[in-house]
Amino acid sequence: MEPELAVALPATGALFTAALRPRPRAALIAGGLLGAAGLVAIVLSAPGVSSDQLGLGLSISPMSRAVLLAAAAALALVVAFPPQRADRAVLLTWGLAGIAGMAAIAAAPSLDLVILVTLAIALLQAAVAGQRPLAARLRAPALAVALLGVGLVFARIDGAPILAKFAAVGLVAGLTAAVGTLPYIHEFDPDEVTAASPIAWIAFIGPILGLEIVIRARDLIPSAAAAFGAMLVGLGLLNILWGSLASWFSEKGTSAWHFSFMADWGLVMCAFGVQVADGQAAAVLMMYGILLSRLPLYLWSRQSLREKIQTDRPINLLAAAMLAGSAPFAGFAARVLLLRGATQLYWPLALVIGIGLLLWLPPSLRLGRSLGLPKGRQAVGAGIAIALSVAIGLYPQPILFLAGL
Amino acid sequence: MTAAAAFVAWAGASVIVLADGRRGLAAGVGLVALGFAVLAWANGLWLEGAILIAGGAVSVFELVRAGPQEWGLMAPGSTPRLILAVVGAILSLWVAASVTTGPGAPLRFASLAVLGLMAGRLLQSQSAIAVLTAAAGLALGLAGASGLAPSGGGLAPYLVGALIAAGAMLIPAVESRGA
Repeated sequence: MEPELAVALPATGALFTAALRPRPRAALIAGGLLGAAGLVAIVLSAPGVSSDQLGLGLSISPMSRAVLLAAAAALALVVAFPPQRADRAVLLTWGLAGIAGMAAIAAAPSLDLVILVTLAIALLQAAVAGQRPLAARLRAPALAVALLGVGLVFARIDGAPILAKFAAVGLVAGLTAAVGTLPYIHEFDPDEVTAASPIAWIAFIGPILGLEIVIRARDLIPSAAAAFGAMLVGLGLLNILWGSLASWFSEKGTSAWHFSFMADWGLVMCAFGVQVADGQAAAVLMMYGILLSRLPLYLWSRQSLREKIQTDRPINLLAAAMLAGSAPFAGFAARVLLLRGATQLYWPLALVIGIGLLLWLPPSLRLGRSLGLPKGRQAVGAGIAIALSVAIGLYPQPILFLAGL
Repeated sequence: MTAAAAFVAWAGASVIVLADGRRGLAAGVGLVALGFAVLAWANGLWLEGAILIAGGAVSVFELVRAGPQEWGLMAPGSTPRLILAVVGAILSLWVAASVTTGPGAPLRFASLAVLGLMAGRLLQSQSAIAVLTAAAGLALGLAGASGLAPSGGGLAPYLVGALIAAGAMLIPAVESRGA
């Protein structure tokens, strides 16, 4: 029953929060309670055990459960310590809707349903009022759905062995288009509300979607696993290079944050491509970094980006160190695991990734400064994000245990 | 029979690619739903086929209910789209009938043709209603393609696909600005 509740409770919470928006306190209480109940359902869901209440064998894998919990924690952090001028009820509404969609993706019994749920999420997001035209907002995620669908069809038809490789191409292309990494970077408007922007895909829904596609693709096309991994590593390296350089040199601060998510996704893709246990552990920790560190800091920095405020206080240096993945933050543990996994697979790859990691430093200093000087609730939130990252970096074992690694 | 159904699904996807008006798009999504429904019925999936028809019917109704009623077929400058529709069909036919083996070639052809053409339409169009119709066609195509699963996709993909196809047309196609 837990997977069904993990989807239904946040979805109901989103509906209640939206309906009660004129009364913000009631909206927050209703959404918070239902969201917390959904979180309990995710925690209680027995990993890998299927529930059949709706005639569908729904189950949530251990890795998906770990990532869902991180997404829920990120939402709680941002709603409890909201960015300046942000409406907490709106944040909670769209966040809970996203969590419900992510739980549905995680629990779906087949890749067909994962792809269809992704299309439903894309359409719901397109309904959010945004700066870009509807066609521009829907194009990239719907294209991802089409590519994933073509990949799935190729994976299921019998014929020449090369068809499995075509399937791998479709699935990897679909994954990158869904998340919004190179070569399918989503059109980005720096002034757009976050729920309607590509950040919702690259930083919130992307981790669970990417994880599910990778896990299911390995079962679907075992004969093309090597090609699938090689494509992920190749695109990952490309995104590391492009994302970090663009984040460093781009003119607008908000765009620099967008590119920094791409660079982080480059590491995640490399980690998924390195098909050994250390690689998978690195991917999970990197996704924790995206959800619990980079996403909240991006949201808290938006006001200072609008006001073009840059500060060089200790908090900015700490934030920069966290974003750069230096010790003792979570990103450091992820990077060590990735380098260890890459060395096991093919040591020159570790060398290339190691050189790529140096590219994180200059853009991270820039992004850290753009946080400004957090005050009040935001300062507490930034402190919690940094403390969480340090805790995960020093002792990642509970997260890895939760993810079944 | 199944070959004709697959051809109908491709024809529907081609009309979605070629049309700019609501009537043309409605005809396209209706044909896609009909084609995949007949393919499902041919496999004995009666309820699943009926669900696809229902989803497609709601899409068609929403398209013809409001907005300017035009066909908008083959507007000037649509030659590249015509070429896309024809080349998409030839490539899908080649893969479904020649590169791959086993029964179910019509479903393979229809799935590849519809998914490929909808991807092309999504990339090409700047119009909200055309992109929403392409998304509806995509949902129907994905639901129909779930029939390629070794043990059958079950009822759920058809139901979800039909709901998405019906719901896509309820999204306001007027471009929203602000926030």
